[in-house]
Amino acid sequence: MGLSFGTKAPPTALSGEVEVSGLGKKYGVIEVLKDVNLSMAEGEVVSVIGPSGAGKSTFLRCLNYLEKPSSGTIAIGGARVVAGEKLPDKTSLDHLRRVTGMVFQSFNLFPHLTVMENITLPQRKVLGSSREQAEEVANQLLRRVGLPEKAKAYPARLSGGQQQRIAIARALALSPKVMLFDEPTSALDPEIGLEVLAVMRDLADEGMTMLVVTHEMHFARDVSDRIMVMGNGGVLEIGPSQQVMSEPQNERTRQFLKAVLDR
Amino acid sequence: MIMELLTSIARGVGLTLYVTGASLLIGGIIGLVLVGAARSPIGIIRGAATLYINIVRVIPPITWLFLIYFGLPQYALRLSTLQAAIVGFSIIASAFMAEIYRSGLLSIPDGQREAAHALGLGSITTVGHIITPQAFRVALPAIATYGIGLLKDSALASTIGVREITYYAQQSAKQTHEGLLSFVVAGALYIIISLVVALVARRVDLKLRRKIGVV
Repeated sequence: MGLSFGTKAPPTALSGEVEVSGLGKKYGVIEVLKDVNLSMAEGEVVSVIGPSGAGKSTFLRCLNYLEKPSSGTIAIGGARVVAGEKLPDKTSLDHLRRVTGMVFQSFNLFPHLTVMENITLPQRKVLGSSREQAEEVANQLLRRVGLPEKAKAYPARLSGGQQQRIAIARALALSPKVMLFDEPTSALDPEIGLEVLAVMRDLADEGMTMLVVTHEMHFARDVSDRIMVMGNGGVLEIGPSQQVMSEPQNERTRQFLKAVLDR
Repeated sequence: MIMELLTSIARGVGLTLYVTGASLLIGGIIGLVLVGAARSPIGIIRGAATLYINIVRVIPPITWLFLIYFGLPQYALRLSTLQAAIVGFSIIASAFMAEIYRSGLLSIPDGQREAAHALGLGSITTVGHIITPQAFRVALPAIATYGIGLLKDSALASTIGVREITYYAQQSAKQTHEGLLSFVVAGALYIIISLVVALVARRVDLKLRRKIGVV
């Protein structure tokens, strides 16, 4: 530890850890992400905030290759991918997606499958679990997100908040090491959003490593350990949540916080 | 009289259904391959599929039937009338079904594929378990409508001698000189079959929609 070149702890201790360095993404000549670096310890919760168009979602989506980054390296929970012209080999890509779980703004539950099937299908196809194993895990998770009675329901029969809690359960069923949340409450009424935030708060308390793109400033301040502020495709600043909220260093951060907190 | 005509013309119902059903099924399967090919990353495959779909659709069905039944034997194989009709209508159906599938696929939001990728589902699972079942539900009404269209087109098979409804109607008209009544009976039979198809499709559609809650 602490050797030259910032060498990290041995691989076993890397579990759950995020090391992103020099991440960049270009659409043609337009640079939407510029040299983004982030290092997270296991169990850490980092909120990503910033004005729209800052590249927050693009950053998150690059981490599991829903978007192909143009440069940089991504190491998450033992998976490691170097970005370049070509897609990384399938094994690394599968590994990366295996260690990350993602929750979307629009939930993206599979509408033709019941809640139970939404949670069991990925387990059976990705982990090779039996139906019984998968259903047992699903039932546990449904209790954990407070919806044990909805197993047989179809997503369209659920409220937005319930759908998002199911989406969280679906991602957790694959035992990811890091959970990525892409504005998980932005499509919800503020009041409904609270039930989703409560589940996320529990998850954080249980030690899940979480990276959360959000506009929920209370969540960012109270639940996350650190806040990363993005603007114009880059990182404006990153620091302990209380500090970023109360004494932002960057002028653009100050403007943004004033705008969102004064409303 | 009308009962005699009916029993006589109804003998064609079997082959009408057979030609329509077999062509829809075979065309539906080829259409799946076509829609896959039309989305292929390889340009030449994509181009060939698109060309096929567009050429097939602009040639009239009767021209296809004559081409296959009267034209092919000159150079290659001689098909029976029934075979020629099924081959012809399958070719036509494949192009239309490919277009129907394509619009079904386009209706699936990107988020579905993204969620599948994020969960680490492979492309075969994603297409087989996530995309296709949803696309099928969207496409079902269009498939039923096309099936009814194909049912009507199948009357053209009578021109090469397939013994379906219209063929027997022509026969009856000639033999009994009851031209009007013969074709009215034939028309009624088409109406009945169409209604049954439409009704079944609607029931299935409603059932699926109710299940996923998008009534």
